Amino acid sequence: MELQKARHVQYFQRCYTTVLPSVYTTMDSNRLLLGYFTLAGLDLLSSPSSASASAKDDSASVASKSLVPAADRQRLRDWVLAQQHRNGGFCGSPGHVQPDTVKRGWNEAVSYPAVNDTENVSLPGTYFALLTLGLLANEEETSVPTAFRGVNRIGTLRWIKRLQRPDGSFGEVVNADGSISGGRDMRYCYMAATIRWVLRGNEVGKDLDIDVDGMVRHIRKSQAYDGGFAESHMGESQAGYAYCAVAALSILDLTAANADEPNRYLKAGIPNIAAMVRWLVSRQIVFTDNDESDSEEEVGEEQGNIITVPTSEMASLNVTGTVLGGFNGRPNKVADTCYAWWVAGALHVLNDALPEAASLDGASGREFLLQKTQNAYGGFGKDAGSPPDLFHSYLGLAALATMAGDKTEEGLGQFDVRLCIGKEAASRLDRARQFWAPASTNDTIDA
Amino acid sequence: MPPKNNKGGAKAKDSSAKQENDVAKTQTVFERAQAAYDLTRPPYDKEREELGGLHALSTVEKTAYANWFCTAPDELAFLSKKAQKELWKQVNETNRPLRRGQIDKPKPDQWGKDKLGRNIGDYTVQQYEQRIEKQGQLTCLKALGRSFASKRLYASKGLVDSSTGEVYTLTEEDIKAEKQRRREMAALKKDLYGEKMGPYSTDPEWDDVVPVPQMEPEGALAAIAYPEDYAESMSYLRAVMAANEYSPRCLKLTEHIISMNPAHYTVWLYRFANIQHLDIPLLDEIEWLNGVALDYLKNYQIWHHRQLLLEHYYPTIAGSPDEVKRFARSERAFIMAMFAEDAKNYHVWSYRQHLTRKLGMWENEEHGELDSIEGMIDDDVRNNSAWSHRFFLVFSNPRYATPDSHATEADPKVPAGIVDREIKYAQAKIKLAPQNQSPWNYLRGVLVKGGRELGSVQAFVEMYVQNIGNEETEQVHSSHALEQLADIYEEAGDKEKADLCWKRLGEKWDRIRLGYWEWKRRSLKAASS
Repeated sequence: MELQKARHVQYFQRCYTTVLPSVYTTMDSNRLLLGYFTLAGLDLLSSPSSASASAKDDSASVASKSLVPAADRQRLRDWVLAQQHRNGGFCGSPGHVQPDTVKRGWNEAVSYPAVNDTENVSLPGTYFALLTLGLLANEEETSVPTAFRGVNRIGTLRWIKRLQRPDGSFGEVVNADGSISGGRDMRYCYMAATIRWVLRGNEVGKDLDIDVDGMVRHIRKSQAYDGGFAESHMGESQAGYAYCAVAALSILDLTAANADEPNRYLKAGIPNIAAMVRWLVSRQIVFTDNDESDSEEEVGEEQGNIITVPTSEMASLNVTGTVLGGFNGRPNKVADTCYAWWVAGALHVLNDALPEAASLDGASGREFLLQKTQNAYGGFGKDAGSPPDLFHSYLGLAALATMAGDKTEEGLGQFDVRLCIGKEAASRLDRARQFWAPASTNDTIDA
Repeated sequence: MPPKNNKGGAKAKDSSAKQENDVAKTQTVFERAQAAYDLTRPPYDKEREELGGLHALSTVEKTAYANWFCTAPDELAFLSKKAQKELWKQVNETNRPLRRGQIDKPKPDQWGKDKLGRNIGDYTVQQYEQRIEKQGQLTCLKALGRSFASKRLYASKGLVDSSTGEVYTLTEEDIKAEKQRRREMAALKKDLYGEKMGPYSTDPEWDDVVPVPQMEPEGALAAIAYPEDYAESMSYLRAVMAANEYSPRCLKLTEHIISMNPAHYTVWLYRFANIQHLDIPLLDEIEWLNGVALDYLKNYQIWHHRQLLLEHYYPTIAGSPDEVKRFARSERAFIMAMFAEDAKNYHVWSYRQHLTRKLGMWENEEHGELDSIEGMIDDDVRNNSAWSHRFFLVFSNPRYATPDSHATEADPKVPAGIVDREIKYAQAKIKLAPQNQSPWNYLRGVLVKGGRELGSVQAFVEMYVQNIGNEETEQVHSSHALEQLADIYEEAGDKEKADLCWKRLGEKWDRIRLGYWEWKRRSLKAASS
């Protein structure tokens, strides 16, 4: 089965141009995330490396030009920046932004109305805002130097630092009284590490930088007994947290380039790398349509000291020919599109720290996505037969791009697994961040 | 004064009144205005306009028009007395109507547009009259609403009504009537102007709050088709949050928003602040939360909120072990109700860990935590979440475990008896379903925690694997057993046997992981060369 590129282009264009259905109301507090998935999907389907080499189908002409219209970019940038808080950081959604006229109390220190609605600024909002600004820098390179113009760099770094707890973990929100709300999970570590990298927080002095060693300690504590990663210490391992943990460490390594000690944080943050590889590859399962319930009831019987096993279970391990290899997020759960990405992505990043790369069965993983969760009208659903949604549609593409590796999936651009965006977009983002004034507290980009 | 020309005027009036009756049903507002305008000027003026100039009129009409033009007060002022006299003389001689109304020439769009963008000038007279009537009703309702607002203001200040000598009071009846009025006004506004008035702007209780609308340009990313009332309730939420208001109505507002968007990250924090300020019993809030949690199984914020409630509730009962136990029991009962819906809900398991730590639910008492987990594993031996919780329960018990010991490292403080017990437990469950990876992973975890070699369970593992490499007699009842056997061989330095196990896994017993088994084989070779 092929990637139905033209359909996916239509799906993301529909999301881009029309109003999302009301089921998305439960994601209204994270509209920056929805916007990011929309733009990142359009970008990946039309980046320079997505152009078909053989040009055998009409998708080649679609891919020749970015699907994010150049004329819209300034407006979209303005929209993202409108969600920035005066004191740094971004709200997750326009619905969380309080207008400038809303001021609370009186700040005695500066004799000025105090602005302390800081709890509306969220870590995911800030992460998705910065990545979206990077995505919006255009191919002509003229907008790269100004991609982050208008971002309150120092304010944001100061706020990220306040989000970190003494145990090294990060929360989601800093309350008006300075307390921190939100869990302690690996996603926040990943987002904090990425924001720090984008804003070059490692170059502004210790007072403004986060406690990197603390973050690494917190991640290290979260590896579970089965080799996977949990949300935090002693929890159940889950593939999404595995990716976030590994990618967070890898991004920290980007800011600690040292030829003598490559992958310093990746190695320091994972107590048992081999066990993690084992856990990740174990997430791949042979998909059969009546997967779930059947085997639950079958129980082995003891005959002497030999235990018989339900034949169906063992038989599924020995299938030949074309196999559909789905991925689950935890042992004994069903296959789900996004876990193909979380697992493949985590393993891809982890391979950097291994003398030799371990691999998944990419071919069967690809078949599962294309045959089972790819929607006939474009996009990907959560699992076989589910309607498409933005989250699974983008991560489905991410999984295919990651599993294809250097060969690339026909019609998709090359992929930066660490940042979960197209390679060209990642490169623009990297070049754009070079324009921050080095090692100064000047919080604007001069260009 | 211009002489009256009764004859001509009366004639025109008669005919047009008749006409009006005939067409009343189909005539538009503009047409009626145009007709009225025409009645205010002589026929030759209308003709002149329609035919496009004076040249089209007969000489007599031309003269009449010129005279009519000159009798306008502004023009008349330029004429001498003598000339004026001459003018009036001519007017009388021509005997043509001379009327001049005080109304302007109507323009087709002067009535504006309705909510659908339709020109109101194109309404039929009948439709227009209905519209005017509704506008009148709205004005009356507004006036009554203003008197309600005044009364409320006077009542709040304790003023005395001078006509009755009594203090102003606002009765339930008044409020009920006002609510009814708001509903009527909302319906009228929607009908007339397409303006929406949601439940908050029509509720007198919210009159003092100026909503803060969402500021967003057209063509933004990821716009959502919000359900009815969502946008309005959010604008009231922004307003009360900015004002730091904590009140019962705010608590209700948070509930309304949570019902539409439970992932709103600040509405929960704000709700908690309300609970604290209003001194609402935490158990009441927990009870409320139980219902909400069952409605939104996958939501994370609910569990964060519950954790926050726990943080504040626990100190109030910490002094009484019985209270703590009772609370632990009721929380566990609720958790089990959640698990009846989804026994692998990550947030619930995460909360359960937090609860265990907070309330110290470690010890293996009757109907305690370990009993409960055993029951869940008995229900579904493949529930990996339950296995994981058991691991936490056994190896984080502060009575013996090293504080903060990593899940992946040996903890010498865990008593050997407990390690033995857990090994036996895992093995018993493997027997029930040998291809179930959860207890196999658990077994590995326990061995590491206990500082024991994988080889210490070799005999057990070999029960599931026979004669590897012998095509005739090879038997594998669990790929996990074969894998563990390979690791046991590797641990013991028996590289050939380990390699054979991985080879057979890739060839037959777990083909989808061929790439991994080959990687294991290569890594082992590289390590030994």
